Amino acid sequence: MSVISMQAKTLPSQPERPAMRLVASGAQDPMSGLDDNARFRRIVLPHIDDAYRLAHWLTGNRTDAEDVVQDASLRAFRAIREYAGGNPRSWLLSIVRNTAYSWLRKNRPTTVFTVDDLEAVELEQTKPGDSSGDTPEATLIAKVDAEQLRAAIAALPSPFRETLVLRDVEGLDYREIAEATEVPIGTVMSRLARARQRLMLSLKKDR
Amino acid sequence: MTHSKPDDKSVLLVNAYLDGELDPANALGVTQQMDKEPALAAEAERIKALQQLIHERLPREATPPGLRGRIESSVGGLQRDRVRPSSSWRALAASIALTAIVTSSSTWIVAQSQQQPTIVADALVSDHIRALMAPEPVDVVSSDRHTVKPWFNGRITASPRVVDLTKEDFTLIGGRIEVIAHDPVSTLVYRRAKHLISLTAVPAESRFALERTPRAVNGYNIVHWAENGVSYWAISDLEAKELEDFAHLFRTSQNEL
Repeated sequence: MSVISMQAKTLPSQPERPAMRLVASGAQDPMSGLDDNARFRRIVLPHIDDAYRLAHWLTGNRTDAEDVVQDASLRAFRAIREYAGGNPRSWLLSIVRNTAYSWLRKNRPTTVFTVDDLEAVELEQTKPGDSSGDTPEATLIAKVDAEQLRAAIAALPSPFRETLVLRDVEGLDYREIAEATEVPIGTVMSRLARARQRLMLSLKKDR
Repeated sequence: MTHSKPDDKSVLLVNAYLDGELDPANALGVTQQMDKEPALAAEAERIKALQQLIHERLPREATPPGLRGRIESSVGGLQRDRVRPSSSWRALAASIALTAIVTSSSTWIVAQSQQQPTIVADALVSDHIRALMAPEPVDVVSSDRHTVKPWFNGRITASPRVVDLTKEDFTLIGGRIEVIAHDPVSTLVYRRAKHLISLTAVPAESRFALERTPRAVNGYNIVHWAENGVSYWAISDLEAKELEDFAHLFRTSQNEL
């Protein structure tokens, strides 16, 4: 991978575009003049696959994931007017994520981490001896099979699992993950780094 | 390779660097540190291998058939409940009020758009539209990645990753250079059926990379991701799902120059 560089110059402070464009051409603005149903079709429906996949990662099985996605879709529909632009997929995924946890808390109380547990998990991970000192070589990682990988991700504690899935499976950026999981960006960074370390460690142990 | 373990903060920064999340100063710091510390460089290699493994081998859980339909029908039920009062005089009054607001609210909309500047996305969509209307959507016409990549080399400091997706039915048709806010950036053009895809790559340490990207501008779908220190924007009138597929294929393809 070649590192590429470019000169930074100052950004113009405002978007250079005519003020009236969005108003005048309603047909071009994807959201103007749409009723809730049409908005839902534009904003939510295209991302149902991602929503289901995240729900599956968070609940661990298909039926629960379906329930969560149905619930989350209704929540998204009721809140569709509150969607204020930005990435609709990360907007939906954050609803899915919140729905999943409240659903799990209600229906599968033993599987849910409390906030205190989360802190404990994070502290646990910062203890020495559980880190990258003897993690496998890159070539070793490359030989892991699909089921091993899936199981290793599924076995991560939920704060790590959700952060890793949102980044490495769904491709959200740190800021979007921070918004979706309601933690500061610094926490996203440390969770992601630890999630990856944990994952590498468990893939190595499997072998 | 030394056996000294990289400290937590360095590992954090390497992760952020590979995710394209660092500003130029920090990105430079990380690359320099990796040059000095083989253990850190090795950690970076492992993280990259892990990311690649996830992209290539992690099974994607398929959405159960019928789920989409069930969602649409349950939402349709809510919609009918909501539509009912709209025949009343209140709705009429509201729509008149709304018209009044809309016609007098260009400043409000501008204020909104300033909250979430989308300079890059807007510029790239404009360039995409311009390319569609131009006699040729590309400056260098070639389906051969071995021709396209060197073409950029002579014109821009950063030559983009070029992959061959012909087998997946996305044909490379060439490349062009865009200028966003005075900076030249590389754009590849792929074609599927009659749809063109403009794929722009910008170094992740560039100021553009930090900007929030909407999923669509003026009806054109946008898929944005960052990888290996590069931020990508794919723009097309393809369905969002197909464009996502394209992005996924591009990310995971091994057919690289």
